[in-house]
Amino acid sequence: MRPILAVAGLTFRAAFRFRLVPVLSVLLVASVFLLPAFIKHTGKAQEFVQIVLTYTLGLTTAVLGLTTLWLACGTLAGDIEDCQMQVVAVKPIARWQIWLGKWLGIMMLNGLMLAVCAGAIYAQLQWRARGLSQEQLEVLNNEVLVARGSFKESLPDLEPVVEEEYQKRLESPAFAEMPRSEARRIIREQLKAGLQVVPPAYTRVWRIDLGSVKSALAGRPLYLRIKFFVSEKSASGTYWGLWEVGPPESPRRVQDVKNHAAETFYEFSVPPDLFDAEGLLTVEYTNQNDTAVLFPLDEGFEVLYRAGGFGLNYVRGVAILFCWLALLAALGLAAASFLSFPVAAFLALGLLIVAFSTGTMSLVIEQGTIREVNPNTGEVAKANLFDHVTVGFFKGLLGVINLVRGFSPIDSMSTGRSVSWTQLVRAISQIVLLMGGLFAAIGIAIFTRRELATAQGKG
Amino acid sequence: MAIADLEPKVGGVTPSAPEAVVVVRGLTKVFKDFWGRPKARAVDAVDFEVRRGEVFGLLGPNGSGKSTTVKLLLGLLHPTRGHIEVFGHSPRHVKTKARIGYLPEESYLYRYLDSAETLDFFGNLFELTSKERRNRSEQLLEMVGLSQVRRRTVGEFSKGMQRRIGLAQALINDPDMIILDEPTSGLDPIGCREVKDLILALAQRGKTVILSSHLLADVEDVCDRVVVYYGGRIQAMGTLKELLATPDAVRITSPLLPRETLERVLEIIRRDVGANRVEIDTPTQNLESYFLKVVEQAKQRETTSGATSGARVAAYLRGEADQPSSVERRLERLSLPQTPAPTPEVKSPAAPSVDETRLAALAHGEEKSPPPVKVQTPPPADLDRANEKLSSLLGDKP
Repeated sequence: MRPILAVAGLTFRAAFRFRLVPVLSVLLVASVFLLPAFIKHTGKAQEFVQIVLTYTLGLTTAVLGLTTLWLACGTLAGDIEDCQMQVVAVKPIARWQIWLGKWLGIMMLNGLMLAVCAGAIYAQLQWRARGLSQEQLEVLNNEVLVARGSFKESLPDLEPVVEEEYQKRLESPAFAEMPRSEARRIIREQLKAGLQVVPPAYTRVWRIDLGSVKSALAGRPLYLRIKFFVSEKSASGTYWGLWEVGPPESPRRVQDVKNHAAETFYEFSVPPDLFDAEGLLTVEYTNQNDTAVLFPLDEGFEVLYRAGGFGLNYVRGVAILFCWLALLAALGLAAASFLSFPVAAFLALGLLIVAFSTGTMSLVIEQGTIREVNPNTGEVAKANLFDHVTVGFFKGLLGVINLVRGFSPIDSMSTGRSVSWTQLVRAISQIVLLMGGLFAAIGIAIFTRRELATAQGKG
Repeated sequence: MAIADLEPKVGGVTPSAPEAVVVVRGLTKVFKDFWGRPKARAVDAVDFEVRRGEVFGLLGPNGSGKSTTVKLLLGLLHPTRGHIEVFGHSPRHVKTKARIGYLPEESYLYRYLDSAETLDFFGNLFELTSKERRNRSEQLLEMVGLSQVRRRTVGEFSKGMQRRIGLAQALINDPDMIILDEPTSGLDPIGCREVKDLILALAQRGKTVILSSHLLADVEDVCDRVVVYYGGRIQAMGTLKELLATPDAVRITSPLLPRETLERVLEIIRRDVGANRVEIDTPTQNLESYFLKVVEQAKQRETTSGATSGARVAAYLRGEADQPSSVERRLERLSLPQTPAPTPEVKSPAAPSVDETRLAALAHGEEKSPPPVKVQTPPPADLDRANEKLSSLLGDKP
């Protein structure tokens, strides 16, 4: 273990001796303190949090992430190119220990910088919150600076219905000629639309099972978070709806008419104890507009409840950010295990950009082809081998990327959602152990086999 | 030197030779380009063995394959063909590396670490305790003459100082085998002498030393056996005696003799070999010895901001804490000569002739012995270069 720690300590020390830490500190101070000082908010709690927490923490993570990639590529590739690795590798330290020591050193630096920044952001959040009005301060404490759990309506399994509907429609010649997958996709989208769309004067009912936490929610208010789209815009830009919450026919049931703008998240509280004895919460929305309203299945309706305080939630959220940095360090080191510094940095950044550009891949998977789709009919030509290969590859790639991107700690913290211990454990497992481990295995395997004396040094 | 010693041995390794610590068989290294096409055959079908306690020289011109061989022995390169064993294991066996010290041909150390940090880092890789690291670092820095600049970073060092700290790191683990690639490159004559003394001291303790160099004098001074490389192949291999001895000539050195004695001796020799095959001259000390004497005297008066002359070999490397061995005492006498006693020099036989005038001068002590050392006096013309080096070493002080 001591050799690993020696290499880690050396890597950590190198960051200071090469003046990386002072430069990084300036960038981070700018991210943490200057941004909130120059960007003004209107006094609303959500905007305040957006600036003081979301922007600062996001920027800090971005700066640290890029620094991590650069440092990881530089520390290993640099040592190999400058031949220092020749003196280290002939000592009784295995190559995997060198690799791991480098990773550990980078993570020591990341841990230090992230802890300082996260602490500064937290302190700043508390300090600047004193400038908010009493009402907004209450919103801040109830809706943001908390750890709230969330329930969503579980999506029913549509496939049996899709199959049944498909068999029925096969009688139609237009459907019979259509490729089976395309026909099923159209049916699936129609069924989804049926679940999302609330026509004028219709009512949409959500039944949320709070059974697992109902006892903990006794006497506590719940929060409904909604977002909808409309088929036709109204003159005012806002849309009325009747919201009823509570067991049907119950005297405790409450109702309220609310007016909201489309395509925007809204949160409103509902009184405590409106779920039934089994913990089932019933919420109904009646569309009082002349246009259809659509609540997206993924983010249209959500029930939030207080699950804990902000402090520990913040620590867990920051720990997930640390997991991402750990992955980036492994990615950079893996690239540097077989490439020169500039090429390794280029490759690592390229992979990072691909990971952030999943929209195209999702679209290709959804359409089932990489070729152009007819914009009028939405139809595509029959998928060929190239389409199958591409879609399959994108599915696999997206699945891997989503293992890492499936976490959004900054968003969660900004909206007062709980970053649970389960999420943190999942992040460690998926991001650090699985993906980071994959890069580590690749990097170590290559580095172990690499000839280190082919470089003749720069000096 | 006994006459019997001049007899060449066959093979270079006696039947009772100690165990082989390095075994190389059919070693070939071909460097390839990006597409896997052969680019250069750096080492070609090389066989040799290095035995415990031996100072083994890899000799050859630049690009002959010496450094490649060293890097193959260290596992930094992989052989294209052939077999290497170091202490009975593959060169890539991690635990075996605890028994090896390596000084690369350039300073490949971390430029942002100072001397003490450098030794501490490498000591950690050998899992030495904190106390051991501290003790050894102090002794090594003292030995290589860097104890006064221990807090200066390696990047600020001159090339010679970097070689010294490089040598120190190679010895931090008290290795059983040390591989030195061009160890005297960039060192001043004092440093060169100290390195050679160190090599001899290590060999005396049973350590194996592999020395790669193109400086023939270095190899000649310390090596027991050498291989001579050219074009990646071994061109010659054996002990220095085998390779360098001139078996059909003999040299006799004695104090100044009266002319009559000399003539009697020459008469006897001439009777056996003929008049035109006898040479007679005065032994001279070499430039290195002269230079060391000058600097030793200058040290008494001057100070320097660079590396100082190293102290005696670190105690833990000597294998004893207090008393230097007789060999080391002898080495110290050699490295820091206190008396101007000239040492016999082996020279190749020159054109066979006897100058009668010279003989007369020798017999009567008229030919001057080497001039006494006086730094302030104008040097003889053939010592100009030595004085230039001295001036540089002393920081251009008068």
